[in-house]
Amino acid sequence: MALLDSYLSAVKRCLPRKHRTDIAAELREDLLSQMEARQEELGRPLTDAEQYAVFMQHGDPMVVARRYWPNRRSLSLGWELIGPELFPAYLFVLGLNLAITLAVIPLVNVIYHAPITVQPFVLPVAAQIVCVTAVFILLNLVRLKFPQQWIYPPAELASVIPVQRWYSVSGLVACSVLMLWWLAIPYLPYLVLGPSAGELKLAPVWHRYYVPVLLLFLAGMGQRALIVVRPDWNWLLPTSRTVISGIGAVVMFFFRAHPLVVVDASAKNLEHAEKLARSTNAWMGWGLFGPWLWLYLGIGALFYAWYSLPHLRRLLHAGLDRIRPVHELNGVL
Amino acid sequence: MANGTIGGPEILENLKMELRRGCLIVAVLAQLRSEQYGYTLRKALADDGLEVDEGTLYPLLRRLETQGLLVSQWREEDKRNKRFYRLSPVGDQILNQLLNEWQSINASLNRMLQEV
Repeated sequence: MALLDSYLSAVKRCLPRKHRTDIAAELREDLLSQMEARQEELGRPLTDAEQYAVFMQHGDPMVVARRYWPNRRSLSLGWELIGPELFPAYLFVLGLNLAITLAVIPLVNVIYHAPITVQPFVLPVAAQIVCVTAVFILLNLVRLKFPQQWIYPPAELASVIPVQRWYSVSGLVACSVLMLWWLAIPYLPYLVLGPSAGELKLAPVWHRYYVPVLLLFLAGMGQRALIVVRPDWNWLLPTSRTVISGIGAVVMFFFRAHPLVVVDASAKNLEHAEKLARSTNAWMGWGLFGPWLWLYLGIGALFYAWYSLPHLRRLLHAGLDRIRPVHELNGVL
Repeated sequence: MANGTIGGPEILENLKMELRRGCLIVAVLAQLRSEQYGYTLRKALADDGLEVDEGTLYPLLRRLETQGLLVSQWREEDKRNKRFYRLSPVGDQILNQLLNEWQSINASLNRMLQEV
């Protein structure tokens, strides 16, 4: 029943709060009846893949849940940009991001004894709205294109679904671009320093952390490349990402604790260069390599650790060979 | 999809869906003259040639119950709790009126089609 409960908990999360338990109980009963009927037909208990096929036929948890909402709001501009299935999640994420932004900016201003004005809010708020909206429009497009695919199914279900190739390929491309950028930094420091490259140089901390970060990029690329070839190795994604993101969070935490740039001895105006180094360290320490980066990696590690648990549980119970019933899904997906 | 218009098959699908929507309500009310739970109701509808997916049926049952046309009750059967639905007295009256309406529309359509 673990798979059924996992599916139902995903539906339940998106149901109207007032009737959540009641609706979930009724859906549970219906799914159990369907599974029993199928079992009778086959004369044996259903495999994980067959159970998953029942859920696929029943529908994406978000879509199933949204049918119970009386007011199905969406974002449209002539055509639908964010559908009613994603709209509540969009509002939640946007609201959360804006709340964090509106809380952090005054806090920073208070710490640095700066007056609180409207101007520092404009750009971050506009950027949050544009970025979150763009991400959700993209997700909506993916959902329309692959209506039966779940990007992040619940952990128990994810453990029986092959990883989608487009997901691994897009990750591989993004990881390759970032790694190329990282590889080029020692030869082209302006990729980090910008126009200040003549007056500033990278601090020694870069030498200490350069290889560990490069190894993390390589590990990330290797994991993605392997899953492109073997999408049925679905245990590899959460387990390797738990380790990579976890180490990445620790590395980035210590990396940004040091000054990231120092004045280049060849700088013509030392006073100006020192001022520039201070401001560059500030924007890099709070921007490009800001706390968001290790927080993002740390949260990512926890997220993937959660997705690793079903694999670990199965491994403890039945051995690695039996944790992959995903071959059976080839006919289903 | 040229000039913002939709293609023939899509129009047909939309119209079929609209036609089915109204019929489905009548069919569900008619089936629930005798008490049933969701799964058996769906099977009964399918057996009579009206396939309906769970994602459509359960929200519809809930809506009809909110409107007072159905009453429901959780009860144990075969060691499992199931929600049984049946027609309410108001639902019964409404069903009769809907069936009259249905017959009248059907008769009109038949007349029109015979004229053609």
